[in-house]
Amino acid sequence: MEIFLDRLFDGISNGAIYAALALALVMVYRATGTINFAQGEMALFTTYLAWGLTTRNVPVWVALLAAAAAGFALGAVSERALVRPIEKRGLLATLIVLLGLFSVLNAADGLLWGRGNQSMPSLFPNTLQSYVSVFGARLYWANIGVWLLVAAVVGLMFALFNRTPLGLQMRATANNRESAALSGVPVGRILMLGWGLSAAIGAVAGVLFTPLTPDSLSLGEMFPLLIYASAAALFGGLDSPGGAVVAGLLLGVVEVLLPAYVPAVGGQLQEAIAFVAIVAVLLLRPQGLFGSREVERV
Amino acid sequence: MSMPLVVPERSAAHRGLQAAGIVALGALAVWASTSNQFVLGQLTVALLYATAIAGLNLATGYTGQLSIGHSAFFGLGAYTTGILVASHNWNPLVTLIPAALICFATGLLVGLPSLRIRGINLALVTLALAVAFPELVDRFPSFTGGQIGLDISVFQLLPPHWTGISVADRFQYYYWLSAGLLAIVLVLCATLTRSRAGLAMRAVRDRETAAAAMGVNLAWTKMATFGLSGAITGVAGGIFAIYLGSLSADSSFTLTLSITLITGLVIGGVATTLGPVIGGLAVYFVPYWTENLRQGEASELIFGVVLIALMFVMPEGLMGLAIRLSRRVLRIEPQPPARPDGRTGPPPPNGTDHPAARDSGPAAAPDHRQERNTA
Repeated sequence: MEIFLDRLFDGISNGAIYAALALALVMVYRATGTINFAQGEMALFTTYLAWGLTTRNVPVWVALLAAAAAGFALGAVSERALVRPIEKRGLLATLIVLLGLFSVLNAADGLLWGRGNQSMPSLFPNTLQSYVSVFGARLYWANIGVWLLVAAVVGLMFALFNRTPLGLQMRATANNRESAALSGVPVGRILMLGWGLSAAIGAVAGVLFTPLTPDSLSLGEMFPLLIYASAAALFGGLDSPGGAVVAGLLLGVVEVLLPAYVPAVGGQLQEAIAFVAIVAVLLLRPQGLFGSREVERV
Repeated sequence: MSMPLVVPERSAAHRGLQAAGIVALGALAVWASTSNQFVLGQLTVALLYATAIAGLNLATGYTGQLSIGHSAFFGLGAYTTGILVASHNWNPLVTLIPAALICFATGLLVGLPSLRIRGINLALVTLALAVAFPELVDRFPSFTGGQIGLDISVFQLLPPHWTGISVADRFQYYYWLSAGLLAIVLVLCATLTRSRAGLAMRAVRDRETAAAAMGVNLAWTKMATFGLSGAITGVAGGIFAIYLGSLSADSSFTLTLSITLITGLVIGGVATTLGPVIGGLAVYFVPYWTENLRQGEASELIFGVVLIALMFVMPEGLMGLAIRLSRRVLRIEPQPPARPDGRTGPPPPNGTDHPAARDSGPAAAPDHRQERNTA
């Protein structure tokens, strides 16, 4: 029971991070109709930035806010300067530009902060003793902190989408860009906002995720995370923020529990099995769990 | 003389130009074969990338099914050849046949979701394939060598006697093997994409619903294209195994390779015949040169900047740009294909020589294949 709960807690923490990144991917998808392959590298860049600040004795919370602000700027500028001009050239061209951005950001991380693995200080008490006991299992404050912060971010985003005029404009833009523009929505600024917010969420996710494992801040850290987040976004339905969050949590939990309780899976097939399951679901429901069905007007 | 020069399609002048182009490419290939061993090895890999990209071009360029899973086909072909040669002592060249068949079958299977899943969603499904392949290889080490890798004895991979190439010159053999495969694949792709099936492929890409309404069998077109695309990439992988002699899925056949291939396709020119060749050479040699120029991250930075700049300056790719520029000098005017009975109009259903879609004949001519679509 304790071991099960330990695993479950870890799974929920990972799942919360996947959920946050998947939400970021969904926001970009709704704005631009593409997967931001540079999402993970944007998050990594801002995480490095936060780490760089903490090495200069800036408090972690301030570093987190700085990273989120930098992420917002990075996302908004990328949308305006790189994505919007190339978007009309089609999906492939956009994809290649984002891969180029991926390469540039990753290289910039290496040039600015070096290749070695670094340890990111945690936002929360992070010693071996800082836990509460739940049915004998150890629930670390770091885990609780991740859950609460991700829940707060997700809650804020949903409040923004569903309760504010700005959110209405964002939904209108996602739904039909032309009609939104004709109704007076400043579509360009809304797109920048969407990308900016999504990169800011990525920054928060990166700063939260990295301290969960010591020495884990490295150039290759975010890529596997991006893969899981994409899988979660796809599973939940690419245009459904709620679906992304549910699927992200589910994926995080299953990823930890499956190899532990199904020996045949072993340690190496996790990603493959996650993906195969998702593809199987997609065959039955191409729109994902909560996505809206694609309708074509003839 | 007025510009541009207009040459009717399939006229003597057009055929002459085509022949001159082929001779020039052949001469280029012969000239390149005089390079030293190191460069020959590089060229071999670059040409195999070009072949893999030509395969990818069928699915992604002509049929619009974005795939970032072609590294898995390349790896599957390589491992088929590797296992059959190393563990079952097959003749390396013969293994290319099962490699093609296995990759074709896998391609059909991957094409299956594409019937219901489109665009970026499909790209993510193929991503699954790219991610799963190295994991599967590691999972069955008794079969594949796992993480340690699969080694083929050099003696099994030497040039056969009939080639007359000595052991010392074996890099010539690998080079010509890959150049020969590339030539065959290019001819195959050029013929296919200019045929009636090629028209169907492009129709599926450009407007699926309209294509179905015209009687294109969406399911079969998509699946068969994906299968063929996978088979071509797989055979390139098989020769890669023959050249390299040592396989490791974690280093050679990861998602990075898929990204390299799709990058090459776009840099070279999507849905062009020679674009994959330029793209294959570019994605192999450009990073190599920037690496020489500056080490490590700086090279990656330059590569990323070049990639973004290329998309802004010439989103149609190098070959697309070349075609656009050459139209100012020379224009090939499409002609309605000749019909055996001498009349003009669309060709009979078995016609294989059909110009591009701008041919204005009544495209929905009665056709025995005009069954109801199954999508």
